Formats: sequence, C-alpha cells, structure tokens
Amino acid sequence: MDLIINLTLNGLATGMLIFLLAAGLTLIFGLMDVLNFAHGGLFAWGAYSGLWVYQQTGSFIIGIAGAIITGCLLGIITEKWIIKPVYGNHVQQILITLGLMLVLSEMLKVIWGPNQITASPPDYLKGSWELGGVIVIKYRIFIILVGLFIFAAVQYILKNTKVGLVVRAGVMNKEMVQALGINIQKVFMFVFMIGAGMAALGGVLLGPYSGVIHAGMGMEFAILAFIVVVIGGMGNFKGSVLAAILVGLSGSFMAYYVPDLSLAVNMLLMAVVLIIRPQGLFGAGGVRG
Amino acid sequence: MRLIQGNKMTAFILVIAAFLILLPFVYESRNLFILLTQIFVFAIFAMSYDLLIGFTGIVSFGHAMFFGIGAYSMGIFMKKFEPTMTYFFLAVLSTIVLTGLVSFIVGLLTLRLKSHFYAMLTLSLSGLFLVLAEKWRSMTFGNDGFTFRVPEMLIDRTHFYWLSLCLMVAIFLFLKRFTNSPLGRVLQAIRENEQRTESLGFQVLHYKIAASVVSGVIAGIAGILYAISLRYVNTSVFSMDITLDALLMTIIGGVGTLVGAIIGAGLIEFAHDWLTELAKEHVIFERWIIFFGIIYILVVMFFPKGIVGTLSTYTWKRKKQTAVKSKEKVAG
Repeated sequence: MDLIINLTLNGLATGMLIFLLAAGLTLIFGLMDVLNFAHGGLFAWGAYSGLWVYQQTGSFIIGIAGAIITGCLLGIITEKWIIKPVYGNHVQQILITLGLMLVLSEMLKVIWGPNQITASPPDYLKGSWELGGVIVIKYRIFIILVGLFIFAAVQYILKNTKVGLVVRAGVMNKEMVQALGINIQKVFMFVFMIGAGMAALGGVLLGPYSGVIHAGMGMEFAILAFIVVVIGGMGNFKGSVLAAILVGLSGSFMAYYVPDLSLAVNMLLMAVVLIIRPQGLFGAGGVRG
Repeated sequence: MRLIQGNKMTAFILVIAAFLILLPFVYESRNLFILLTQIFVFAIFAMSYDLLIGFTGIVSFGHAMFFGIGAYSMGIFMKKFEPTMTYFFLAVLSTIVLTGLVSFIVGLLTLRLKSHFYAMLTLSLSGLFLVLAEKWRSMTFGNDGFTFRVPEMLIDRTHFYWLSLCLMVAIFLFLKRFTNSPLGRVLQAIRENEQRTESLGFQVLHYKIAASVVSGVIAGIAGILYAISLRYVNTSVFSMDITLDALLMTIIGGVGTLVGAIIGAGLIEFAHDWLTELAKEHVIFERWIIFFGIIYILVVMFFPKGIVGTLSTYTWKRKKQTAVKSKEKVAG
C-alpha cells in the first residue's frame, strides 16, 4: 500500500511537470498552429535561471519568480523575432523552432558550463510527512499542488475572462476572430508568453525534484510533452492535463516494475492513439494535413 | 534552360569526383582522407534527408534512428560473427530490411496527418532507439559501445575512401534520377501543394511513404559506412546531434538540390575540424555548434533555399537580366 501510494504521488508529480510543459505547447499549437520545438529549451532555461536566482538570493520563491520572468521574456522574444517572421509556413516554423532549441541549449552550456548542477529544495520543503504509516515526501506534494493551482488558474482564465474567450474562439476559428475585429497578434503573443512562463516554471520545479539539472533535460522532457500533446489531442487544454497524468503515472509505475520499458510504454500509447484516434483521446478534429 | 543548367552542374560534380578519386595517388595525408571520408558519409546521410525535406516537404527529427540502425547492424554482425564479406553483406541486407520496415511503419502511422506528427513521432521514436541501445547491453554494450574488426577488403583507409566516394556519387546520381522520375515529380508536387496533388488523383500517402522508405534505407547505408570508418559504435549514433547535423547540412547547403547537401556536409565537417582546433585557443569554440545554430536560424528566415538555391536563383536572375538587355539592344 505504502509503495502504491508513493508511486502514485511520484507519477502525479512527474505528470504535473510534464503538464506545465505540454499545456503551453498545446495552447500555442491550437491557437497559432505552431508546434514549438524550442519549448524544451524554455523549460531548461527556466530550470537554470531559476536555480541561479535561488542560489544568489537564497529564496526559493524568488527563484521561481525569476524563472517565470525569464520564461516570459524568452517567450516574447521567441514569438516576436523567431516565429512571427515565418507565420503560415509550417515547414519553416518547425525548422526554425528546432534551431532555436539548439541555440538555447548551447547557450546554457556557454553560460553555466556543460556539467550538471545539483539542486536541492529549500529547508521548509525538505523531508517528508508520515501520514498513517505512509511516508510522503513534501516536495512531491508541493509540485502536485502547484500544478493543480496552475491548471485551475488557466482554466479560470480560459472560461471566465475576455482574453480566455478570445483564445478559445481562436482555437476554433482564427479567421472568424480576426474578422470580428480582434487583434489576434496580441493574443498570440500573450499565449506564447504564458506558455513559455509555464514551461519555465516546470523547469525550475524539476531541479530540486530530480536533484540535478543538465542542458539535455529540455529535450528529454520535450519528448514526453509531445507524447502528452498527441495523446491529449492537439490544442486541447483539458486533454493535456489528463494525458500528462496518464503518462506520469504509467512512467512511474513502469519505472518500478519494468524499468526497461518505461519509455516504450508511453511510445506505444502514442502509436495506438495515432492509429485509432489521431485527434487525441480527448480531442476534436483538425489534424489532417 | 534549367535542364541544361542541371546537366552542367552534374558534369561539374563528376569532374570534382574524378579529382577526388585521383587525389590519393598524388597527395598523402591521413588526416585529410579521414576527414574527406567523413564528409562523404555525411553527404550521403544529408542527401537522404534532403529527399524528405527538400523534395517531399516532410520534416523528420529522428533521422538518426536509421543512421543508428545501419551502424549497429554492421557493428553487431562484425562483432558477434566473423568479420568476413559474407557477414558484411548480411549486415547490409539486415540494415535495408530494418530501416525500410521502420520508415514504412512510421510513415504509415503519421504521414496522413499534419506535418508536425511525423516530426514528433520520429523525434520520440529515435529517443526510444537511443534508450534501447543503452539498455540492451548484451547486444550493444550500452553507453560505452564496442570496437570491432572489419573485413580485410575494407581495412585499407584509401580503399575505404574510394568506396565511400563511389557510393556517394552513385547515390547522388540515383537520387538525381529518382527525383526527376515521374515518382519524384509527384513528390515535388506534394511539396508545392498537397491538396492539389491529391485532387489530381494521386494517392499522396503512398508517395510520401515511398519517399520516407527510400530516404530511410539510404540513411541506413550512411550509418553502415560511418560504423566501418570508425570501427566502433556507441549510442551516440542514435543521438539528436546526428539528426541536427543532417538538418544543418541540408538547410545551410540548400534544400531540394542534393548538391547542397554535399556542400553543406563538406562545410560543416571542415568547420567542425577547424573550430575544434581553435577550441584550444578559446573555450567559446568548444561550443562551435552555437554558431551553426545561429547561421541555421538566419538561413531559414532569410535564405530558405540555402547556399546553392540562393546562388542559382541569383545567377538565373542575372542571366535573365542580361538576356533582356541584349534583346533591348537588338530592338533599339
């Protein structure tokens, strides 16, 4: 029982981190039709810059804030200078974002060195609680709570504000929104910024969770996020959280019982979804070329 | 007009190839030939990538997996069995079968969907192959990789240099023929306008899968040559860096030209060699790939046709201008 609860919590925490990455991807894709291959780079930048600020100031909260600010700024720069010049050309967009990914992760090595950096949670999140004989690690609970909070907040914005309304309408039909006189470019930038900020938040939370950060982790998590985006349905925000939890749980249970197959199971899941429901398990249409 | 230009280009390349064939007789430098062999191998790899991205408009981010399958098939056959020509051909055969099968399945799954799906699935599948190569230690010796002996015929560096050069030229000519065949024309039509090609009655999916399979098999051949040239394989053959190499070479050299892929391969391998030397002077050159990343982004933004494409449009425009001018003179 102890084991199962811990594996579940572990899976949920990993799932939440993947969700923070995948949510931005899926929203950006749904709205702008851009699959941002540099998203993993933003994630890694969040991890490095957040950890740096955390180490400089000694406050984890300021570190998180630093990561989010870095992420948002990088998001704005990316949207403005990298993606906007090639709007409408899919192949160019895919190529250019991968190039950005390359530059971002190499820049990390230039600034912080090629070796991995150790990270540990602040004192108040260290250690564990004992609840009825089950040992629960505090930091995992913290990640799950942050993930749920972000999900609720974004869901609230999407459902209850003007911007959210425009975003949802834009996902359904971009041209119509534009025809109604709304400056969709501004919405694009806003969504890109939020998506990048969420990715950076995921990155900074991952550092103390896994203990070390390295420049290659952006790509590792980006692959998981792509799997989540496909399973959840591209452009489907709610789908992405369910799929992220699914991938996180299957990863954590498989890593314990059949460690060699943990990535293979997620890949298999993605292949099955691609065959049977290319629009995603929870998704709507819009995938055919 | 363009056809003649294309033939001129081919003739030019054949002249260079002849020069490169004769080079070992007059010049002796072990390092240079190793570097050139490396360039030929990556040129083959980049051309196979060009068939996808430049001629069909498919973006793959997992091309390394075909390369790795080739490299590992050769390594495993040579290590586990005897390093003889029989097993060499068996390794080639298994590479062709495996890469063909994998590219067929991947293509079947994702090529009917938007272009993002193929890029994503290949990216994650090559990640899966990387993990497989790391975990299947009894076969691949994990991350450390293993060395192996090669058949006697291929031991001599100069012979192998000729072999890779000939293969590169052969594959270049084959792909030239392939892309100009009716099938290749349809592929280019798909690149230009998929809907229209479909409405003209072509089964777009079949053509795309054909391109994907041909490209995968050729990438596997490049992987075989790579493994033989190093006599060593490790998991890095499946890494993202290999795919990125192909991507940089093709994009910077020029997509949809084949020659561009070769030029890109030469450029990047030479620069790699040179910048690694410079790394002794200053550490920033250790991160040489960052320069190419930036150049790559600028090329995608401003010169989407790459070096070769941009140059040929430039000369074509100039010729057109002079033609117009001389016409004006005649008229005046």
